Amino acid sequence: MTRRSWRSDPKRELWLAWYATVAFYSLYTVVFFVITRIQPPGKPWYSPVQVTEWFAGRHDGLLVGFALIFVLGGLSATALALITYSIRRMSVSRAFAYSYLILYAIAAVPGFLFICVAMTVGAMRPDRNPAVLRWLYDFGFLSFSGTMGVFLVGSLIWMTAILLDDNRVFPKWFGYLNLCNALTEVVVAPSWIFHGGVLAWNGTIAWWINVVVFGLYTGVFIFLLRQMILREDFGTGPLPDLGLGGPAGQVLAEAAS
Amino acid sequence: MIATASGTRVATAREPRHVPGQPDMWFFVLFESLVFTSYFCVYLFNRARHETAFLQGQSHLILWLGVVDTIVLLTSSWAVACGVQHARAGRYQAARRDAILTAACGLVFLALKIVEWARLIHMGKTFTSSQFFQYYFFLTGIHCVHLLIGFIVLGVLVVQLSGEHRRSQVVVETCATYWHTVDFFWVLIFALLYVVR
Repeated sequence: MTRRSWRSDPKRELWLAWYATVAFYSLYTVVFFVITRIQPPGKPWYSPVQVTEWFAGRHDGLLVGFALIFVLGGLSATALALITYSIRRMSVSRAFAYSYLILYAIAAVPGFLFICVAMTVGAMRPDRNPAVLRWLYDFGFLSFSGTMGVFLVGSLIWMTAILLDDNRVFPKWFGYLNLCNALTEVVVAPSWIFHGGVLAWNGTIAWWINVVVFGLYTGVFIFLLRQMILREDFGTGPLPDLGLGGPAGQVLAEAAS
Repeated sequence: MIATASGTRVATAREPRHVPGQPDMWFFVLFESLVFTSYFCVYLFNRARHETAFLQGQSHLILWLGVVDTIVLLTSSWAVACGVQHARAGRYQAARRDAILTAACGLVFLALKIVEWARLIHMGKTFTSSQFFQYYFFLTGIHCVHLLIGFIVLGVLVVQLSGEHRRSQVVVETCATYWHTVDFFWVLIFALLYVVR
């Protein structure tokens, strides 16, 4: 696409939000799994001394990684905005979009930011009392894993909107995939009870299976948001299919040329 | 194709074959089956490592109660299948009655499960008392979450069948597919928790 056509492209804001979404999830994966190495999660049964060693082994990564998150984590708002836009584009009540927006905006605090703050505080002063470090460690992982129930309701809202929608913004199977994702988030709830085993915060069922489902779900919704932007005709009726003419088809043809 | 008396085959016009209900619901069935399969694999792996402890835990379950649970849920699946047949034939009153019978069987199942949970908890067998009961309460609990969603699905089914302008055979079959899935998961859970020794 030429510079001129980019400027006149009515979808440029949507594309900006989509690329920011991809950037956010890439950053999230790199920071949580590679730089800070807080995922896969630490063991819930660690003693205060072991927790101190855990923090010491990740000291630089925690500080650098979460500094990146505190600078760029706000990109998550674009993903949320794009999903809210998708719900607004549906034939359903706006209440779905607003509920989703408010719920995820609130859920991001316990489910995303608490662990970043707790782990950074833990890494900041390695000479701190090990009992305090363990408190921060437990607080971080429990707030991250144990609050999935808040996101669960968000998935159910998105699912209901998709299943009721007549504008075919998303395929119905994605509505059901939202239900699958919500059901795996129910499974994380026992992490408040168990200090070990498959249902603890690092357990095979509560974490490993969950993260596979969530990873697939995230990949699918990023792809489907892209499809939605390609099909968007800025009307109020059903979204046209790709390659069947209409404004979306024209945009595609223009992009291809 | 049909075979003639002389043994030759003649091509005949055939309607395209469809899965019952929305194909999208079958995506859910497949995906959720994979998730449950992973839970079962984890269960069986741990069971193989701690066989004696798991057998000891299993001995506290009442097999006949599990059999009754299974019969009740299979009856509910039969009722919802009859409902689909009635809806296909345009007998919506009968289909609605079948949907209500399905929900009633679901409620009986739920009541039996609560009685069983209460009995075990009274015996000191709780979510945290042993590995076996951790899996038992987890698998039966997550199944019950699916069952509770099933009641909402049956509510949609009844509403669909009640209003003349709302009736959609695709939605009726989609709801029935969900309910069969709940039943299918229970049969597997029953086999793993109660029967496999």
